[in-house]
Amino acid sequence: MSTSTVTAPRFADLLRGERTKLTSLRSTWWCLAALTVLGLGFNALVPALISGGWNTMDPASRERFRSDALGLVLQPGAEWAQIAACVLGALLFASEFSTGTIRSTVLATPLRTPVLAAKAAVFAAVLFTTGVLIAIPSLLLGSELVSAHASLDLASWTTQRALLGFGVYLALTGVLALGVGALVRHTAGAVATILALQFVVPAAFQFLPGTVGRHLAQALPAAANVMLGSGRDADSVYSPLQGLLILVVWAGVAYAAAHLSLKKRNV
Amino acid sequence: MDDVSFQVMPGRVTGFLGPNGAGKSTTLRLLLGLERPDSGEALVLGRPYAELEAPLATVGALLEARSFHPGRSARNHLLALARASALPEARVEDVLARVGLSEVADRRAGGYSLGMGQRLGIAAALLGDPRVVVLDEPVNGLDPEGILWVRTLAKALAAEGRAVLISSHLMNEMALTADHLLVIGRGRLLADCSTAEFIRRHTDPATYAATPEVARPALLEEAFLRLTSDSVQYTAV
Repeated sequence: MSTSTVTAPRFADLLRGERTKLTSLRSTWWCLAALTVLGLGFNALVPALISGGWNTMDPASRERFRSDALGLVLQPGAEWAQIAACVLGALLFASEFSTGTIRSTVLATPLRTPVLAAKAAVFAAVLFTTGVLIAIPSLLLGSELVSAHASLDLASWTTQRALLGFGVYLALTGVLALGVGALVRHTAGAVATILALQFVVPAAFQFLPGTVGRHLAQALPAAANVMLGSGRDADSVYSPLQGLLILVVWAGVAYAAAHLSLKKRNV
Repeated sequence: MDDVSFQVMPGRVTGFLGPNGAGKSTTLRLLLGLERPDSGEALVLGRPYAELEAPLATVGALLEARSFHPGRSARNHLLALARASALPEARVEDVLARVGLSEVADRRAGGYSLGMGQRLGIAAALLGDPRVVVLDEPVNGLDPEGILWVRTLAKALAAEGRAVLISSHLMNEMALTADHLLVIGRGRLLADCSTAEFIRRHTDPATYAATPEVARPALLEEAFLRLTSDSVQYTAV
């Protein structure tokens, strides 16, 4: 039996436990592979298509792409890659409840809320790293693809910011999905909820009239990918920094709600 | 549950009995912090479970329902728990060997039979080498060999000086396994005494006297039914 040498677990131990949980499921690797393929694929496809169709494009569209080549090269991949980040994030916590793993987890860590913190930290770190690793080749390739019509300064601060922004966007979106999963506690329900928030609600909000409508529509978490652009896109009502703040608030609210729910509800 | 307090002594197997719906699982879930009491508090070793410094090294529990991800292997399930609880990783191999899952430890747990799943739950309960072991309905759905294995294990754990608490509604199994009994009904503690004492006290005196000593464990069912007859909340006609 255990003697007096028993050590009380610290947060670093919890991080290691959560890392083991994350990497020991096949669904994690499938989702990360899908995320990489979607991210790289669409970051290459969209600039290639636009460059290819340049001669048949109207002057207004040309001007839009010229002014925000950075957004052209990074936003398509982020929009698609976030699907995988959302699915994995929602599964990560909801599957603990649907499979009963949560009981083992909570017996080992009865304070519960540090589990949420450790899961979010590990998941955000993985998504940030994967995102940056997708953004680097996307920028290199993208600057080549658009070079005939627009210039993309790889060394500029705006480009560096967008590079980090790609990782931050995926990481925060993942934390938002994780929070939704911890609240909904049901895998299919959690995935449906987060995908509706990211894809259905923005589509519905498009039709809101007037400036107020546009501000509302772009205050949704999915619209925060404006942080990946140069800030000169005429369609965006918020700046890249404001986009970041919007996403931080969304992820923060979901995290706080998940924290409370985990504390109060039975498992 | 209404003011239930009991001691589970080291070195013996304590059986936790009660009719369906009496609150056995609820009591255990309250004690282990999975549920919050409406009022009052649930204490283990004088403290709420959540305030134990090293929970898995203090109390190890198998709960009635499955508590692992079907897509994760037994080894990784235990490894994640060991790492999160700052337990030596060598404990994973120790408990896998003890429950006989070493050979299949890298297979995904979703493919395990009921008995193997139960063994994985017990392995998790023993991971922290705890002083107190709680097993909620450990023999539910097991074949005779599995039942015998759980019985032998429970006695061995007690012989090692641990306090072992087993909940069950299988009377004959409890008569063979438990040294001491706790019986609850309608949320109250109805009995807290040794198994032999319980049988003597609650069987019909004539039947008791007419039964040879070796056969007396078989009277546990009768004793239990007599004690709890007015505590059963749902009966079929």
